[in-house]
Amino acid sequence: MKIFRHLASALGAFCALAALGAFAFAVVLTFVVSAFKDVEISAWNVVMSQVARWFLFWVGIYLVHNVLPIAVAHGRTRREFFLAASAFSVALAAVAALLGWLGFVAEGGIYALMDWQADEHGSPLAYVLMFLVWTAVGMFCAAAFDRYGSAGVFSVPVGFVLAIISTTHIPGAGRWPIVPNLPTAVGAGWHLLSLAAFVVALGLTWVIVRNAPVRVRS
Amino acid sequence: MQIDVQGLSVRYGDVTAIDDMSFSLAGNKIYGLLGRNGSGKTSLMSALAGYRKPSGSVQLDGAPVFENAAAMRQVCLVRHSADAADKGDKVSYVLEYGAAWRDTWDNDYALELAELFKIGLKTKVGALSLGQRSALGVVIGLASRSPLTMLDEAHLGMDTPTRYAFYDALLNDFMAHPRTIILSTHLIEELASLLEEVVIIDAGRLVLQEEADVLRSRGTEVTGNAADVDEFTATLTVLSEKSLGRTKAAMVYGTLDDDQLVRARQLGLELGPIALQDLFVHLTDPVGGKR
Repeated sequence: MKIFRHLASALGAFCALAALGAFAFAVVLTFVVSAFKDVEISAWNVVMSQVARWFLFWVGIYLVHNVLPIAVAHGRTRREFFLAASAFSVALAAVAALLGWLGFVAEGGIYALMDWQADEHGSPLAYVLMFLVWTAVGMFCAAAFDRYGSAGVFSVPVGFVLAIISTTHIPGAGRWPIVPNLPTAVGAGWHLLSLAAFVVALGLTWVIVRNAPVRVRS
Repeated sequence: MQIDVQGLSVRYGDVTAIDDMSFSLAGNKIYGLLGRNGSGKTSLMSALAGYRKPSGSVQLDGAPVFENAAAMRQVCLVRHSADAADKGDKVSYVLEYGAAWRDTWDNDYALELAELFKIGLKTKVGALSLGQRSALGVVIGLASRSPLTMLDEAHLGMDTPTRYAFYDALLNDFMAHPRTIILSTHLIEELASLLEEVVIIDAGRLVLQEEADVLRSRGTEVTGNAADVDEFTATLTVLSEKSLGRTKAAMVYGTLDDDQLVRARQLGLELGPIALQDLFVHLTDPVGGKR
């Protein structure tokens, strides 16, 4: 619980500030763009569908690459850290999605006031799942590179497949290559697949980190 | 805290860093872990701290240490690479980690040591000099108050006054809070007075484990007439010899018995102690195959 509390207080506050900054930037950017052309898309959805997932991917990397060795150096086991980091990733994804939803509400008010058009965005559940998967994939790739060095590159295609599953129901997050209509055909069942992708990414991370040595840093 | 190592091996691909090592350490002492570069000191300490899964057995008070939460809580290893700190973090944040995650952490003492070593709390770890980073490692190690505290080359980059401050702080803290401390160092003579027991390893193998005073008594410098010294040392293990004119000094390894002491007196030879560092050098760099 100590690890979770510390992660939540340290990284949670940083993430909340980052979200606030991103929202302010999106609003300012929208007003700047409105001076030159009609506003037709949701700037906040660009943040939520593109920027946020990469940010959470980085959080996953940071957790395993930076914080895990510190945890072991302070007498914590890999298992303790992994459980705390997993719980933190769930909490962070939920909070990020909540902040995202609040952002959409606030942005909706601004757009209505200015009579601007916004494109559609995903459901809170879809964002939660996407953030979960991207954080876990970040942890998985960091674990693979830290333990296996350059051979960790083999984690990238696996991570890519897991990550792309979770973007299916996020407008603006990109369409599937080759079979762009497949997600639409399968429908909400993809949420279960996203959940499975999260579990798989976490499981792969645990397989790698449970016996991983803490190497001497250069 | 009792430390038991049985059949420990650590390998990095084709390189064997620790080769089937076994030993036991009793608690509440300051140990010196001595070895040449690449002898396996860091690998050994890493296995003791649960930093890597051991091949063989590493137990603290009878319990395996790797991924054992109760055992790992008792251990703090500070390597020269400052594992407990991220280069991008401020020093104050690094100390917060210790306070948040270590039950035995003494934050007041950590702040006191940071002031002693003149480490700015707002400075980022990456901006510290090598000596300051080493000092930060000492802060983390000593303030952890872990029953098993290991400092690996903790003096790297420290200037002489800082090293002396470190030795004083270490000894004072050990006296106030007795625990098992393992120091690996190349500055043997500087630390020799602190060490109660010495573990010497070489090429991944245990060379010897001995009380520091007993080890010192095993080495003797014999000085006198060259012919007499040669006669006296003919049956002894000679580590090194120096000659100046007709005078010769020989370092011999092994405890001298009463007959030998009497014979030395008869020959008019001077017998004196030799430095722990000299013993170490010769024990890890055998002359003429003698060890």
